[in-house]
Amino acid sequence: MKLVMKFGGTSLADAERMRRCARLVQENAGPEGAAAVVSAMDGVTEELWALAEAAAVTGPALVETRLASLRRRHEEAAGCLGGVDRVTQLLAELERLREGIGAVGELTARSRDAVLSFGERLAAALFERALALEGLAPATFTGGEAGLVTDERFGEAEPLFELSLYQMGERVGRALGEGRTALVTGYIAATQHGVTTTLGRGGSDYTATLLGAALGAGEVWIWSDVDGLMSADPRLVPEARLLEQISFAEAVEMAQFGAKAMHPRALEPAAERGIPVRMKNTFNPASPGTLISGGEASGTVARSIHLVQDAGLINVTGAAMIGHAGTAARVFQTLAERGINIRMISQSVSEAGISLAVAGNQLEAARAALESALLRTRAARRVEADREVAIVAVVGSGMRGVPGVAARMFGAIARRGINVIAIAQGSSELSVSFVVSRAAGPEAVRALHEELVQAPGG
Amino acid sequence: MKILLVGFGVVGKALALLLEEQRAALYARHGFSPALVGVIDSRGAAFDADGLDPEALLAAKERHGTVGALPSRGLEGVQDVELIAQSDAQVVIEATPTSVACPNAALSRLKAAFRTGKHVVCVNKGPLAVAFPALLELARHNRVELRFSGTVGGGTPMLAFATECTRGSKVRALRAVLNGTTNFILWRMEREGEGFEAALAEATRLGYAERDPSADVDGVDAATKLVILANGVLGRPCSLADVSIAGIREVSREWIDRARGQGRVVKLIAELERGLSVGPREIPADSPLNVPASLNALCVELESGGEMTLVGRGAGGPETATAIVRDLIDVWHAQGGRA
Repeated sequence: MKLVMKFGGTSLADAERMRRCARLVQENAGPEGAAAVVSAMDGVTEELWALAEAAAVTGPALVETRLASLRRRHEEAAGCLGGVDRVTQLLAELERLREGIGAVGELTARSRDAVLSFGERLAAALFERALALEGLAPATFTGGEAGLVTDERFGEAEPLFELSLYQMGERVGRALGEGRTALVTGYIAATQHGVTTTLGRGGSDYTATLLGAALGAGEVWIWSDVDGLMSADPRLVPEARLLEQISFAEAVEMAQFGAKAMHPRALEPAAERGIPVRMKNTFNPASPGTLISGGEASGTVARSIHLVQDAGLINVTGAAMIGHAGTAARVFQTLAERGINIRMISQSVSEAGISLAVAGNQLEAARAALESALLRTRAARRVEADREVAIVAVVGSGMRGVPGVAARMFGAIARRGINVIAIAQGSSELSVSFVVSRAAGPEAVRALHEELVQAPGG
Repeated sequence: MKILLVGFGVVGKALALLLEEQRAALYARHGFSPALVGVIDSRGAAFDADGLDPEALLAAKERHGTVGALPSRGLEGVQDVELIAQSDAQVVIEATPTSVACPNAALSRLKAAFRTGKHVVCVNKGPLAVAFPALLELARHNRVELRFSGTVGGGTPMLAFATECTRGSKVRALRAVLNGTTNFILWRMEREGEGFEAALAEATRLGYAERDPSADVDGVDAATKLVILANGVLGRPCSLADVSIAGIREVSREWIDRARGQGRVVKLIAELERGLSVGPREIPADSPLNVPASLNALCVELESGGEMTLVGRGAGGPETATAIVRDLIDVWHAQGGRA
C-alpha cells in the first residue's frame, strides 16, 4: 500500500531526529512507495512569525538577531546532513523578502504567508538530505509544486479540493511511480496564480490527508511525540490507556481536547475518501498508535473522558424569555460580537433559562456583555456567572442508541457525591458534556473512566 | 462578446464559418454579437481586436498550414497558455483534438482561461475525461462558465436531453451508443456479414474511422463520453479510471450470427447504473438503441417516467460547431447578455 507519513516539528527538531524520521520512512515504505510531509522544525514557525512582524516595524538590528538564530539552527543541521547550499540559498531569499517588507514598512497577510513558508521549505531541504542518506531517492515539492491549490484567504487558505487532489495525484503519483520517495512541505500551498498561501490550523496534517486522498493511500501516518490519543489525561487518571482504534466521528468530537488531537478539517479528506489515519510516536515507533478509520470498533461504551478545567458557567433567566422567539439568538449574537466562544449550551424545554459555558478567562466579559444587552431591555431578569466550574465530556459512539448509558453515567457521579450543574448532549449521541464544580472535575473524570471505560464489558 | 478559438481543424473551421453565417440571426434573436478576436493552432496564432475574417483565416491555414501566416495579424510559434492569459477575450473555445493519453496541454489552457476570468466552451473530451470535478470546481471558484455540450453526440443535444430528463425524477440507468465508428463497424458486420477487419477498412474508406482507430474500437472514446455524462448530467464525480472498458476487436461474426438467431444484435453499449462500463453487449433487435450506420443513441431510464431515447449523428465538423454556438448563446445569457 502507498503510505503518506507526516512528521511534526518536534520530530524534526535537529539533524539527529531528522535522520531518525528518514529511517522510519525507509523502513515503512512498501513496494508502492511512500510520501513524506514535513512541518517546520520545532519553534521555527513562531520565530518566522515574529520575524515578519518585526521586519515591518523595528530596525534591522533586532530582525538580524532573529535571522541569525534561524540561520544557526538550519546551518547546523545542514552541517550534519549536507545541503548547506540549498539552506543558504533559501535564507538569502528570506533575507530579501525581509528587506522588502522593511522597505514598505507594512506586513500584509500575503507577505506573512511568504515568510512563514520558509519554515517548511527549510525543513524539506534538510529532510531531503536525510532521506538521501538512507539511500532513498527523494522528489521534493513545495505544496504549490505538488499541486495543492487554495483560495486567496492568506493565513487560513482553503484548498480547491478536487483540483488539488487531481494535481497532487498526477504530480506526486508520478514521482512514486518512478520509484522515488515524494517529499512535500506541509502547511504551505499556492493560489491558482502561484502565490504562496498557508493552510492555518492543522495545516501540515491537512496537507498529509489531502495527499493521502490524492494518492489513494492505504494509510496516512501522523508522526508526533506522543503515542496517540488516550482514554483520559494520564495525569488525572493513572489507568488511562491508549486508544487503539476510533472512528472519524469520534476523532472530531475529541479534537477540542488536548493539543495532540487532530484538527477536524484535517480529518475531512481522509474521512471523505475512507483513508485510515494513524497517529504514531517517532520516539516509540513500535507502539501501534491510534488508528482513526471509518469503521466503528466494538468495545467500551465510552471511548474517552475529557476535562475542561477552566470553564465559567453563565445562567440567563427570566419569565420574559418563555415562549419568546429570538431570545437565544440575542444571547448568542451578543457573545459573538465580543468574540466570545461558547463551549456548551443547555436549555430545558420550560425555556425559563439558558445555561452557557465559556472559557474561564472570558466569563466576566460574557457576563458584562449579556447584562448590558439583556437586562436593560428586560429580555431577561438575571444573568448569573459561576466562576468555579469544570466541563466533563464523555465521547464514544458506543453510547449511541444504547439505553441506560445516562443512568450509569449519573449513577457513577452521584456515588462520589458530585452534583451535576448542567448537561448537554447532541442528537448524534457521540458525546455528552456536563458541568460540575471545578473542585469535583478530576474526581468526576475518574468516576466516569472507571464506570464507562475500565469496567469489564464497558 | 470576444472569442478566442484554440484549435483550427475541422471543427474550428466550421465554427468560424458558422459564426459568420449566423451573425444576423444571433443578433436578431439573442442580441448576441460574437467577435472572433483570436485563433490559435498548433503552429501559430492570429489576433485582431476587431474580429478576424474567417475566409482569410481559412486561406492562410490552407496555403501555409497555420493561421499564424495571416498577413499583419499572424504570429508563428506560440505559447498558447500565455496568449490565453493575456488575451482580452471573454470566452475561450477549446477545440483541439481529444487526446486522453496526454490531456495536460489542454488542461493547462483551460486552467489559464479560468484563472484569468474567461468562460470556456470545450469540445475536447480529454481534460473532461480525466479531471471533470477539478475543472468544474475551478470554473465555479472563478465565477465563470464551463460548457461542453459538443463533447457528447456532436451536434445532437444529448447532454441537454439527459439533463432535462432528470428534472423531477431520478435516473435509474443510462444506456447509450456513443461512438459512431464502432456502431458502423458492428452494423456492417451484422448487415453485410463482414468480419471486423473488413468492416473497419470500409469505415476508414468512408472517413468514419481515424487513421489510428484504436480510441474508437477499443472503447475509450465511448468511455470518455460516458464520464462526461456521469459528471455533467448526474453530478457523479468520476474519471476515465472508474470505467470498466472493453472494445469491439474481439466481436466475432459467429457471436453476431448467433445473436441474430435469437432476435438480438451486438452493440458497443456505454452503461451507467451502479458502475460505469463500456463493452459489446447483446440487445434486442427492436431496442431503440439498435440504430444503424454511424448514428448515436442515448436512452435514459427514470425511476418514474419510463424510458426515453434520443437518436442523432454523433460527430462532424458543422454539427459540433453548432453545439458550440448553442453553448456560446448559453454563456451569453448566463452573463445576463452583457459583453
